[in-house]
Amino acid sequence: MAHLLTPGQAVLARNMIRMRLAVMRNSLRGDNASNLYTGVSLGLVLALATIAVAVLWPVHLPVTLAVWLSGWIFGPIFVGGGSEALRPEYFSMLPATPGRIAAALLAGAFAGPAPAVNLVALLSLPVYGWRFGPAGVLVGLAAAVLTLVTMVMISRVVVALIGLFVRSRATAAAVGVVTGTVIALCGNGWAPVAALGGASWSPLFVRVLPSGWGVAAIEAPWFLALAILAANAAVIALLLAAWSGLLARRVVSAARGGVPPRRGTPRPLPAAGGARIAAAKELRVWGRDLVRVQLLATALSFAVVMPLLLVTIGAWIMVPFTGLIAIVMGAATSANLYGSDGTALWLTLMTPGAERADVRGRQLAWLVVVGPAALALSLAGTLASGLTWAWPWVLGLLPALLGGGAGVVVLLAVTSLVPGTDPHRRGGNPLSTGADETAETSLAWLVLLAVPATALPAAGAILLNPWAGVVTGVLTGVLSAWGLGRIAYRRLESHGVELLNLMKYGPAPEPGEPTTADLPTHHRIGVTISYLIAWLPLFPQGLAPLVMKVLGVEERVWFLALYLPPVWQWPTIIFMIAIGLLMYGYAILTPMRLSSSSSATR
Amino acid sequence: MSKNREPALRVIGLRKAFGDHVAVDDIHLTVPAGSFYGLVGPNGAGKTTTLAMAVGLLRPDAGSAEIFGVDVWRDPVQAKALIGVLPDGNAMPERLTGREVLTYLGQLRGLPPAVVAERTDELLRVLELDSAERTLVIEYSTGMRKKIGLAVALLHAPRLLVLDEPFEAVDPVSSAMIRTILRGFVDSGGSVIVSSHVMALVERLCDHVGVISDGRVVAAGPLADVRGSGTLEDAFVDLVGARTGGMEGLAWLTS
Repeated sequence: MAHLLTPGQAVLARNMIRMRLAVMRNSLRGDNASNLYTGVSLGLVLALATIAVAVLWPVHLPVTLAVWLSGWIFGPIFVGGGSEALRPEYFSMLPATPGRIAAALLAGAFAGPAPAVNLVALLSLPVYGWRFGPAGVLVGLAAAVLTLVTMVMISRVVVALIGLFVRSRATAAAVGVVTGTVIALCGNGWAPVAALGGASWSPLFVRVLPSGWGVAAIEAPWFLALAILAANAAVIALLLAAWSGLLARRVVSAARGGVPPRRGTPRPLPAAGGARIAAAKELRVWGRDLVRVQLLATALSFAVVMPLLLVTIGAWIMVPFTGLIAIVMGAATSANLYGSDGTALWLTLMTPGAERADVRGRQLAWLVVVGPAALALSLAGTLASGLTWAWPWVLGLLPALLGGGAGVVVLLAVTSLVPGTDPHRRGGNPLSTGADETAETSLAWLVLLAVPATALPAAGAILLNPWAGVVTGVLTGVLSAWGLGRIAYRRLESHGVELLNLMKYGPAPEPGEPTTADLPTHHRIGVTISYLIAWLPLFPQGLAPLVMKVLGVEERVWFLALYLPPVWQWPTIIFMIAIGLLMYGYAILTPMRLSSSSSATR
Repeated sequence: MSKNREPALRVIGLRKAFGDHVAVDDIHLTVPAGSFYGLVGPNGAGKTTTLAMAVGLLRPDAGSAEIFGVDVWRDPVQAKALIGVLPDGNAMPERLTGREVLTYLGQLRGLPPAVVAERTDELLRVLELDSAERTLVIEYSTGMRKKIGLAVALLHAPRLLVLDEPFEAVDPVSSAMIRTILRGFVDSGGSVIVSSHVMALVERLCDHVGVISDGRVVAAGPLADVRGSGTLEDAFVDLVGARTGGMEGLAWLTS
């Protein structure tokens, strides 16, 4: 007779760590490995920079650590739930209490590169403590470990909360609104801080955040320091208890794949064929897929919040363009249309001639979803701002961007598909598609570049004659939607089988075919950094002041060039645009150049 | 008329390698028109890969496939009009209900909406999916997924059905009903190829069998020829190679 075995806590934890490392080892192939090395290198650079802050500008250490904390909180939301290498579901049949499994899973969660990198960053605490003598170093070391555990725990609890409570359109949209607001704050958050005279209360604020407790403990007298550390440990215990409770509920909750609850029998599909029936299908998916609801809410809330933040310092300049921002963001968040449906593509491929209807239907549905909102936001924003010069820009760029977006999303969906997990095989996290987040993010960046590019002719025409610009905008919009859509369905007809099998089996291992993984490490890091920050000189510091100078708008906002003496303004703008273009050129062309040179020598 | 004399499916020298692993190695098969063909083989033998290449869902490294004489890779549109396919494990339009899936796909094919509505009603009723009117496919059980997949394959009344593991995870009552549907389809002139590793089922249902092992055809032809005097299962074990299996290694389980 077999006897009942309950695994001991230490054994359980050790096995989770081993399992996590084994999963990581096995997934370290091709682009995954490349992404990991790039991410770790970047993270280490940032970690060392944090230590440098502790040495050179100690005043700013709490706020720097707050950035790390926000990374732990919002990183998993941005990328749809974070790494799920060890899903709680795997261990639901282990004869152990949820608390024990949670503690062991937590041990597994630390067996990854991110906590290690973060620990390096947190060594800034003992470095800072050095100023307060040996006791400060000791307190700093203890605080570093406690802060690391706290950050990881907070991240896990956030992910678990999302996994459990995002079960309806409302909650998915709420997560999207928070995400969009946070991204907007990252861009324009300085404005409300400046408006509120933030310098006076911010030092206290960043110490009250969990990331600042270590700094507070180092600065405090020893008894208070011990109390803070003890309180931190208690918070960890509370978080762990909360997390194990959430995990236990997640494991037994049956919902899969992010399906909102429904009320009644759906109304019948329209009696149509071709693109119209495909659009009707696609529109239903937009309403029934929580991932899409969340991403759309992210796009719209970003578009609304970003301009409003500048209003706090009296700058209305961005408000008329709310709708245009919504279009570009709406396109960026729907860039992986085919990837998100997974292998359901086989049905389109097996239906004779359905590729064209499918692409056109997806374009129509995208326009129906994004178009009315963009139009309403544009009209409301321009009216509310009272900036009459903005009308030709809004009316010309609106059709250009809508058409461009409708063309670019389907084109990139078939040329740059990022495979994810099929919807019916996804885990308990409704916002995770299982796709490679780094690849999805670079796809979104590609859209952010490509969609505005389709509106360049309209922008040029507006500069010459405002109303000619409106006509040009309508024409280029129609042309982009029609032409790029045509390329997309041709591509789907010729390469649909390859896309299907990319999603079914992953990238085909073709010997001699170079991938980004084959780039030398310094190029890989360079390419990633370029993608991350090239928009900064190009758009806000280059094109935006350019437009404002051309229009003669007298607001300087945060555009460096406009703060300089007039003689330096144009050179600065041109320099910024050149830097941005160079970085994008480098990021896009380097992998292509290296791959073509290696295929030439093959 | 010439198409009637062509085999329903002819596969010539199909080959597919995934990296270093050769999944299908020079497979030749002929499924006569009007036959009920069973494709059998152990797990991982290459059945799914072969069928995916035969219907145009996986590009072969070498070889070709013809459906009633129409080359699947050279004339895909015409070939796809002739077949209904149930692949194993692919996603569906997951966020539609069963009725919506059938309506959408039927109208996408260009069938008149009234015809689609009538066939959808009938298919949902016969396959007992009509009680789940509000359930999205993503919430279906494995057996229900098989049934809606089968309904999709039947919807446009194809001449050849290519079904990968159609009976897996399907309850006995539904299984009997699906067998009846398929029998009726063959009796009225249709052709069916099913893959399975349940020998008894294939023996009861099929008139032709092909046995695949390690990516190669080890036997193919009319059922009586392949199984000889014994059962299909005996013939299969002989062909594929008997494996010693069993309890001798699992002493702890019986102690």
